Amino acid sequence: MTPEPPDSDNAAAKSRETSKSSSALLEIRDLRVHFRTRDGVVHAVEGAQLSVERGQTLGVVGESGSGKSVTAMTVIGLTRFPNATISGEIEFDGIDLINLPDNQMRRVRGRRIAMIFQDPLSSLHPLYKVGWQIVEAIQTHEEVSTSEARARTIEALREVGIPSPEKRIDSYPHELSGGMRQRVMIAMALVLKPDVLIADEPTTALDVTVQAQILDLIRRLKDEYGTAVVMITHDLGVIAELADEVAVMYAGRVMEKAPREVLFTSPELPYTWGLMRSIPRLDAPRPDRLDSISGLPPSLINLPPGCPFHPRCPYVMDVCLKKEPELKQSEPGHLVSCHLDVKERQQIGRDLQTLYR
Amino acid sequence: MSQPINNEATNTPRPSRPGGGLRSSVAGYARTTKGVLFSSMFRYIVRRLIWGVLMLLVVSALTFVIFYLLPAGDPAAIRAGRYATPARIEQIRHQLGLDRPVYYQYWVYMKALVVHFDFGTSFKTNLPVRGEIFRRLPVTFSVAIGAVIIWVAIGIPVGIISAIKSRSWLDRVTMGGSLVAISAPVYWLGLIALFLFSKDVGVIKVFGGSGSYVPFFQDPAAWFSSLILPWFVLAAAFTAFYARMVRGNLIETMNEDFIRTARAKGLSERRVVFRHGLRAALTPVVTMAGLDIGTLLGGAVLTETVFNIPGIGRLAYDSIIGSDLPMIQGTVLLGAFFIISANLIVDVLYAFLDPRVRY
Amino acid sequence: MNGCSNQSRRRFGRLRAGSLGVVTVLLLGALAFTVTGCGTKAKNTITVLSAGDVDYLDPGLAFYQFSYEVIYPVDRPLISYKAGSTDYQPDMAASLPTVSDGGKTYTVHLRTGVKFAPPVNREVTSADVKYAIERGFAQSVPNSYSGVYFGTLVGVPKTSPATPKGLDIPGIETPDKSTIVFKLTKPSGVFVGALSLPLTAPVPEEYASKFDNKKQSDYGFHQIATGPYMIKANKAGTITGVGYVAKQKITLVRNPNWSSKTDFRPAKADEVIFSEGFQDSTVLAKKILAGTGDVNGDTPIPATEMQSIKANASQKKQLFFTPVSGTRFIPLNMSKPPFNNIDVRKAVAYVLDRDAMRKTRGGVLSGKIATHFIDPGFGTHGFDQSGGFGFNPFPSPGFKGDVAKAKAEMKKAGFPSGMYTGPTLTMVADNVPPGSDTAKVVINSLGKIGFKVNLIAQAHATMYTDFCNVPKVEPNICPNVGWQADFAEPQTLLDATFDGTAIIPRNNSNWPQLNDPAINAAMVKAEVIVDPLKRYQAWGQIDKMITETAAAVPWLWEDWPTLFSSRVDPALQLWNGGSPDVAFMSVK
Repeated sequence: MTPEPPDSDNAAAKSRETSKSSSALLEIRDLRVHFRTRDGVVHAVEGAQLSVERGQTLGVVGESGSGKSVTAMTVIGLTRFPNATISGEIEFDGIDLINLPDNQMRRVRGRRIAMIFQDPLSSLHPLYKVGWQIVEAIQTHEEVSTSEARARTIEALREVGIPSPEKRIDSYPHELSGGMRQRVMIAMALVLKPDVLIADEPTTALDVTVQAQILDLIRRLKDEYGTAVVMITHDLGVIAELADEVAVMYAGRVMEKAPREVLFTSPELPYTWGLMRSIPRLDAPRPDRLDSISGLPPSLINLPPGCPFHPRCPYVMDVCLKKEPELKQSEPGHLVSCHLDVKERQQIGRDLQTLYR
Repeated sequence: MSQPINNEATNTPRPSRPGGGLRSSVAGYARTTKGVLFSSMFRYIVRRLIWGVLMLLVVSALTFVIFYLLPAGDPAAIRAGRYATPARIEQIRHQLGLDRPVYYQYWVYMKALVVHFDFGTSFKTNLPVRGEIFRRLPVTFSVAIGAVIIWVAIGIPVGIISAIKSRSWLDRVTMGGSLVAISAPVYWLGLIALFLFSKDVGVIKVFGGSGSYVPFFQDPAAWFSSLILPWFVLAAAFTAFYARMVRGNLIETMNEDFIRTARAKGLSERRVVFRHGLRAALTPVVTMAGLDIGTLLGGAVLTETVFNIPGIGRLAYDSIIGSDLPMIQGTVLLGAFFIISANLIVDVLYAFLDPRVRY
Repeated sequence: MNGCSNQSRRRFGRLRAGSLGVVTVLLLGALAFTVTGCGTKAKNTITVLSAGDVDYLDPGLAFYQFSYEVIYPVDRPLISYKAGSTDYQPDMAASLPTVSDGGKTYTVHLRTGVKFAPPVNREVTSADVKYAIERGFAQSVPNSYSGVYFGTLVGVPKTSPATPKGLDIPGIETPDKSTIVFKLTKPSGVFVGALSLPLTAPVPEEYASKFDNKKQSDYGFHQIATGPYMIKANKAGTITGVGYVAKQKITLVRNPNWSSKTDFRPAKADEVIFSEGFQDSTVLAKKILAGTGDVNGDTPIPATEMQSIKANASQKKQLFFTPVSGTRFIPLNMSKPPFNNIDVRKAVAYVLDRDAMRKTRGGVLSGKIATHFIDPGFGTHGFDQSGGFGFNPFPSPGFKGDVAKAKAEMKKAGFPSGMYTGPTLTMVADNVPPGSDTAKVVINSLGKIGFKVNLIAQAHATMYTDFCNVPKVEPNICPNVGWQADFAEPQTLLDATFDGTAIIPRNNSNWPQLNDPAINAAMVKAEVIVDPLKRYQAWGQIDKMITETAAAVPWLWEDWPTLFSSRVDPALQLWNGGSPDVAFMSVK
């Protein structure tokens, strides 16, 4: 792959946009990821359905253990452990990622699908200079001289808003602030102009003010490069900022999926309601207590029968204990997996949203 | 004598290591330019050197005190022989300077040591201690260096393979074997080695046996042959210990976030393991090895005894048995010197290996 | 000779670290060595293996069996011993001394033609012998026994001068170059024997004085030989770092100035190497059996090895046992209760399980159970006179102890039940086997008649110098002591250990603190008997007297096992407790 001249970036982005409408760039269908452990089989992902298009941002939300990170890692082939069983389909730009051989998977990883992580300090190698780590990323995928890779690295650092990048390139991670480190991670992820950026809780470990900056940066870069973004978070606030489409995951399943506006105005899943109530709203009077979801996320080894959310669901019915609900369309573009009557749940959702708004 | 008996290190968090109490906080966010860095390093080294000298003073003073507090055999009486009259013993005591107060003896000793680099004369053989120690130093160095090479060359790769193939039968076999090697007494292992492989009393006559040591410059081949068995015997426990430590460190490192990042970058697994995983996993191993080498240079008593190698360890042991204070003092100081130096070198080295460490 | 061919080369392939090249290839490169086989051994060399080193190489200081083994082939005292015998043999002397003046004057004529080794190279004269003895009275040459055996010479200094410079003992006269006359203040039964001590080996004053006139003489590191061998030295005569590497090696080479015409030793070997540091006696024994060593020096062959050697038809001919001329015994401190009571001591003598005690040192192969003090090695020199194997005043079946008789003695001592009821005894013993095991057996035996023992375990040297040798702090029992004769005279075995007038506040070796006027008087009389047979008779009687006091309980007449390789002809110094006699050994 020959390096593109910098001023062709926009052109490239545009050409991608033209092909966007045809179909999803990354499509996950019925993904199942199981890990055999000493305690039993962990059903980390159980039939996840997701897709993201070029230039779009998919928000994946859920509590820890809901399978969102495993899904993301599976996309780039990082869950191929000897004790893992992976089934379903992951189609990326016409490539079957599930069955892609390891050596070809490596070419996709980092170059076409990049990923950034929650804690930028632990995610950067503490003993290498940040520049070295980015240069390594470039040279892994492109046959370029070190000096050229270095120049591109400086450019990428500048692009993500790091002041005097020609100096910072020789800094060690511990010499940078948290926000700067995450900018370095983003620069490293985006320096090869990937088609998809998976951001796994990119702002969780950061200060609130820095969070906003990083989200702005991701949004700006997405717009600039036309990169598809998968934003994994447990923070609906982040989703509200950034996502075009939102998927709510629970117990390894996608339980609700809708465009951002729809989800925030009329959520139809009791679990989503719970998630929404667990965010303290800045624009509403503070409730007496944070009304979070009662109970603990289910064990992924011994899932409850029927709907996996039923032990915590305030609207639980007999059917919920016996039959697992299917992910079905309730409105165009709005998929929900719940036994509650459609009308009823739409009404409750809207009421709740008004109440909390 | 140091044999690793502590297998906890396999679970130790990466940057920590024993004996590093003087180092400043690991995650110091020092934003220093190189010049400032090196001048602060220099000051640190000077400070540590001063500490080291003080430490040697304390060690030598303690040796004196312990020698006189514990019943250790009266050197004057031992030297005087069984027919000596009390008057003769007192004469000898006077000759050896043992009739003076302990602090005065210490003062005389230290004065000679500092002014003339004179370690005194053996109570037993009348030989100058300095000469004996320096004559034996290359021997102990020979023993140590070979053992270090073996345990590094075998222990580290075995640890790496075990970590990569963690939980495989290979891993289980090597780690099980390493437990045996760690718990096998050196003396017993030495005898087994001799009776199996030595030229003199072995079943398969291959290597030099007990007492076959010759200096390197006299006959390199014989030197090598005589040291093969001691090297392996001395290295056995260390090899096992290092294999376990490397394995533990590497497995732990491979679960780190930055390894996930490296994989996410699309690096080959080999590069992930060797450039990213090992780089972090081996840093504490290097420091550990430095300290172990320092300890070994003070003498490996058991190995030197079973193979009859005239090193520092034997000298120390013999002088303790023989109540030979100047020789005890000399070997103790030498051992302390190596341990203190190794600590300093390791701490300075650490600053180069781990940029987070600043002084 | 030992099956080494010049072609036996062994090549080690380059070990590789497999695919994990990063760490190890460089380090392992060092292993890619070529190892050659063993070197050629053209010379007629005898190798003696030992665990430790000599105490001194100075004939005026050496006072240790293993040192004698090295020094006798090198430095010739006036008298030595016939091969394989305890009979005197004129050595530097041309004949045995002429005794006159009722045992107070000893005239010795030296051999002519005996020359000092290089760099001195001149003929030995009587002045060299006189100087050798005189220097042993100076502080710079702190000889241990000069006062004991040469203190009766006329005019010995009352206080030791710092150095031998200007020291003259008028009792040693040198009327001519080859005659030396010793004048004593009183007759001595042991003086002839004392002339066999290495202190009488000639020392050239003009060469030695620069070493002797220091605060501590280092003549030992420069010593000049008169015997068939010399310790390998440089041109200046220095042997340290040349023929002597402390705790490692002593190399004897032929003394170029020695002539077989002046000596009775065959001295067939060209070279004798004392190879030291073999702490593991099993390895040492196996090396001798394999022929990579020729004989054991300071270390006995371990019992397990002896058993397997004795079971092997060809090997058992290589193993020899010799009485060590000494006795292990359990002194009972008579200076305080309960052992100030003879009946209590007798009870202990009866109750001790000497058979079990012997087992702690290797059982039957370690020697015979002792029943008195003069050991079988003395033979006609006192052993027979004290009753030989027949004298056993405290018998018990199988030497396992007789509790009934012991209890009877305890009753006599005022313990009606036959069991001891007094305070706990103190004992200071070795902290390592076999001594610590012996102590356990003793404690166990004592328990049978009610004794409780508080055991203090110490290093062997500490046990002596800080406890058992200091009467003020001496415990009730010191189970790990023993005494070896200096030469084949019973006086050297019994005097220092049981003479009540010899008890001193430090370095005391009369451990029971036996001070029996009758015994003291008998010793005074026996010491001046010049006629050997009468003397041995007297000492044999004294041995019986001592034994009957039960001041100490003898339990082992130790045999020293010597193992020779099959490539040498064995020869032993019987007078020196069975040490190999390298001047009489030869390579087959």
